[in-house]
Amino acid sequence: MFLQQLVNGLTVGGVYALIAVGYTMVYGVIELINFAHGEIYMFGAFITFHLITVYKVPFFVAALVAVATCAVIGILLDIVAYRPLRNAPRLAALITAIGMSIFFQNVALIKWGAQIKSYPLEALPPFFSDVAVRIGDVQVTWLQVFILATTLLLMFALHTIIHRTKVGAAMRAIAQDKRAAALMGINVNRVISFTFALGSSLGAVAGILVGVFYNAIWPTMGYIAGIKAFAAAVLGGIGSVPGAMLGGVVLGVAEVFGAGYLSSQYRDGIAYAVMILVIVFKPSGLLGKAMIQKV
Amino acid sequence: MRKSLIWTAALVCLVGSAAWAGDTIKIPVASPFTGPLASFGEGVKNGALLKAEEINAAGGINGKKVEILLEDELCDPKEAANVATKLAGDKDVVVVVGHLCSSASLAAAPIYKDAKLPAISPASTNPNLCKSSPYYFRNVYKDDFQGAFLARYVDEALGWKKIAIFYETNDYSIGLKNAFVAEAKKRGLRILGEEAYTSDTTDFTPQLSKFKMMKPDAIFIPGYAPQGTLIVSQAAKLGMKVGFFGADGLDDDVMLKNKDAEGLFVTTPFLPDAAGPEAQGFIKAYKAKYGVEPNWFAANTYDAVGLAAEAIAKVGLDRQKVRDYLASLNSPDKAYKGVTGATYFDENGDCLKAAFIKEIRGGKWVSAKKQLQ
Repeated sequence: MFLQQLVNGLTVGGVYALIAVGYTMVYGVIELINFAHGEIYMFGAFITFHLITVYKVPFFVAALVAVATCAVIGILLDIVAYRPLRNAPRLAALITAIGMSIFFQNVALIKWGAQIKSYPLEALPPFFSDVAVRIGDVQVTWLQVFILATTLLLMFALHTIIHRTKVGAAMRAIAQDKRAAALMGINVNRVISFTFALGSSLGAVAGILVGVFYNAIWPTMGYIAGIKAFAAAVLGGIGSVPGAMLGGVVLGVAEVFGAGYLSSQYRDGIAYAVMILVIVFKPSGLLGKAMIQKV
Repeated sequence: MRKSLIWTAALVCLVGSAAWAGDTIKIPVASPFTGPLASFGEGVKNGALLKAEEINAAGGINGKKVEILLEDELCDPKEAANVATKLAGDKDVVVVVGHLCSSASLAAAPIYKDAKLPAISPASTNPNLCKSSPYYFRNVYKDDFQGAFLARYVDEALGWKKIAIFYETNDYSIGLKNAFVAEAKKRGLRILGEEAYTSDTTDFTPQLSKFKMMKPDAIFIPGYAPQGTLIVSQAAKLGMKVGFFGADGLDDDVMLKNKDAEGLFVTTPFLPDAAGPEAQGFIKAYKAKYGVEPNWFAANTYDAVGLAAEAIAKVGLDRQKVRDYLASLNSPDKAYKGVTGATYFDENGDCLKAAFIKEIRGGKWVSAKKQLQ
């Protein structure tokens, strides 16, 4: 039971982590909570579904195209909705983000209808449903292994981009001081676009993985996943990428153990209680750095 | 040029309003048309529009066209109260068809009661709904009937003795669970455990892992299909070999797309292949218009709109008279004969409808081999 719950928690947590990274990266660079991020996750799942069902594209190709499309949607979202408000009060951008979230949800409702959709089984790689490890009563499917492996791999790639590449250095520079970065010749808008593309791609991957894992996708799926992942990002320390990963995993495991051992009715409550407790004792989150107010 | 445009526009407005004003009869249909339960609302919408179209093709109600107002309330009690307030204040509205979810109906009921506005729910099965207001009727059975019926069915038809229950924290699900448990205890079935989830849950593995340890014969899901489909899939992924059953809330085609849902059975007020000759025409027309078989939401709404239209045709546009007319349908021989059988009401406004059991075989809903009467 304990082991099974741990595996469950890690699977859920890995997905939260993938989504949470998108929140945290955008926040780190432009100090905006991109509430439409949950919908990008939903688009990832739906565009893959659309390519598989309408154009009969093989699963992995469809997934790659969907991820690329979501990267473009992320860039456009920034250019259309957030860039004009770059220097406006922060609340204006926040309200816009919520507006975009509702807009995207309704686009999906109109395009794909309200019904829950699921990926056609024959389109998925057959190994997904096979059991990888069986220890006594505990089952881990290849799909779960795939989700965890993908999450880890993408996190590693992301870490490399942020710390080992020029554009990563530019991202970190903008996070510290946008104006100074611009004065040093960094093309701020281009780097922000890149950040949105990167965060949106990861969100899309999470959407696809969840769609396959639960075998169900629906237009409003991004809402609650977005809220949870946002909580995970805050828990880990908003603006910190390793923090978002840790926050996602902690939140996922807390939720699953809370539901399994305490009370399933308070499952979400337990997850949020963990978050609140952390914030009370360490306001900057698990791995966040205390912000020094620039004067 | 500009002047002539204005004149033309004015003329169009005049002619237009003369053509429309006051000679349609509005019948509002309140249901979730967007949001997580919008898929249920789709059947409601289709059934209502089809009935209105047929009424209008046959000359309308006393020569007036019927106009269906689709009122979206997301199955959210707060939204339902808003919609109800709006309808209560609309003088042209004399009867409401709705709401779909029990929580929404329960929230709207007191508002309709204050406004003396009769409402017919095609789908809310919570036991307390019609008792709470003389203005609320329904043409669907109640959960105490449905829950007890399911307990009888698993006991008599399937011989399952050990049941775990996985319910959602809402009026519908809890009412159903309580009715099931009461009847199951009477019959000596063992309830191994009861776990809950909220409507926005997508991961059910922790509770399922708990159930797995208990080794039940079957898991009862008195919830709705969006979560139900996830629950059966995730149970399969955990390697559980148990039966699953639920009530009308699981009766949604989304279940058919799920290979793990093979063998799931549910109660339903309407079975296309068991429906009488009256219903065959409806099923054909529905298929021709929408390309799918009607589900029970569509069939019940079709009848509810028919009932509302008949009441208006008989007594005119008067809320109290419509209510009294509906209340007067209190015996089988006075019943409204619709595609879901005869609808008549007891003193609370509840109706007696037969329940059927259907199951998923080969990715299709089929009537279960054994039906209890």
